[in-house]
Amino acid sequence: MGYVFQFGVVWDHRWDLLYGAWLTLRLAVAASVLGLLLACLVAYARQNAPRPVRAAAAAYVEFLRNTPLLVQLFVLYFSLPMLGLRLTADTAALIGLSLNFGAYGSEILRGGMLSIPQGQIEAARALGLSAWRIFRHVVLMPALNVAYPALASQFVLMMLGSSVVSAISATDLTAITNTLQSTTFRSFEFYFVATALYLAMALALRFALGLAYRVLFPPALRSGTA
Amino acid sequence: MDRRKLFGAGGAAGIVLAAGVVPDQAKAQDSMSVLDRIQRDKKVRITAEVDSPPFGILDSSGQPDGSEIATARQLAKDLGVDLEFVQVNATQRIPALLAGRADIAISSLSITTDRAKTIAFCSPHGALSIVVCGPKKTVITDAASMAGKRIALTRATLEEATVPKVAPKGTDIVFFDDIAATIQALLSGQVDAAGMSAFAAKSIADRNPGAAIENKFTVTTAYYSPVVRQADESLRHWIDTWVFVNSRNGVLAGIYEKYTGVALPPLPVI
Repeated sequence: MGYVFQFGVVWDHRWDLLYGAWLTLRLAVAASVLGLLLACLVAYARQNAPRPVRAAAAAYVEFLRNTPLLVQLFVLYFSLPMLGLRLTADTAALIGLSLNFGAYGSEILRGGMLSIPQGQIEAARALGLSAWRIFRHVVLMPALNVAYPALASQFVLMMLGSSVVSAISATDLTAITNTLQSTTFRSFEFYFVATALYLAMALALRFALGLAYRVLFPPALRSGTA
Repeated sequence: MDRRKLFGAGGAAGIVLAAGVVPDQAKAQDSMSVLDRIQRDKKVRITAEVDSPPFGILDSSGQPDGSEIATARQLAKDLGVDLEFVQVNATQRIPALLAGRADIAISSLSITTDRAKTIAFCSPHGALSIVVCGPKKTVITDAASMAGKRIALTRATLEEATVPKVAPKGTDIVFFDDIAATIQALLSGQVDAAGMSAFAAKSIADRNPGAAIENKFTVTTAYYSPVVRQADESLRHWIDTWVFVNSRNGVLAGIYEKYTGVALPPLPVI
């Protein structure tokens, strides 16, 4: 007599699981928007800011990229209260994921920026464009275009990696799955279904991001900046 | 592109691996009982939860220690076989058993009818109280006064099964995956109070005198026992016999008192 799978109990909790999937998606999207803004700022600072700011931006990127996300979350959630800053678990999770995505995203974006030929920037300067317009139209947009596939991949990785936020009691798909499996003891069934949900979300995200790429950067524009 | 391929392959491998566990276990049980296999291989695998004082901790040399660890060692000794500890956290205790990673779970698993639907309890070898504890400044005197307070609980524990039932509306309950995170949340002030065993609360209070942690009220008292898979009838019967013998000769009481500092209450049988 082996283990008998009982998926009925999973079906009973389908709305809880879907709610968890929604929370995970919402967290990942919010963190990627904040993180991308941060990444733009940091990538800009690392190229153009005065030396001390540049050094600070580099230190941020190296610190975040060379320490585990889980430990970063523990610091945000468990250590900051000792300094008087008490974040809720969900806020700490959002800040932690945004900071993490910002660090990785800025490196990807910086790679894109370095691929812009110096001559193109000099040409823009010769045309009399302002520094802001040069950064926006001549550097940032083409850099985003080049870096888009890597950024999209990083986004999906971050969505999957967000499963660690349950460790600081933030609510996401993993947290809800853990609670359900620990109250029903149907751990195989719930973990199978959670895995399938993560897989479905990752595939759907990749598909959506691919579509968005075609809309944001139509082929005509793409060939123009190659 | 490469990254995407890696993902696909990893995901598929994970599913295949997870699915492979169950048929293996089923095969082993068809041919011989787990009790037979333990005696043939001269080895029993028992769960060790080492972040749950006083049941299981790591001693100063990094070795597992605690009342449940001592119980497991005594049981393996009486079986006459070698003992292999399978390290788990609170959430993994039952999954590790069901997945066949461990033969027996001896990790302060309290007896509940819900749990008994998926695993089999032996006769209890210990008892514990669940308390809500917190710093002096938190004003909680009974279940009703938890309203408006943030209470930390550990998933897959007796406190998770009992505290929410007595908590009034408006109690903000947050869940952690292991007791270490729950304790950290309590000590860092992220929560107003936490639900846990009376022993864990005593151990935190003793080790952190500055935090002034005290027991607010007792939620329930429960019995815990060794746990086996439902199919392993002969193993369960042997363990029941072992519990009977060792509660009569005082061995279980000795272990319990050594680690908890409390006398072992009379143990009922299952």
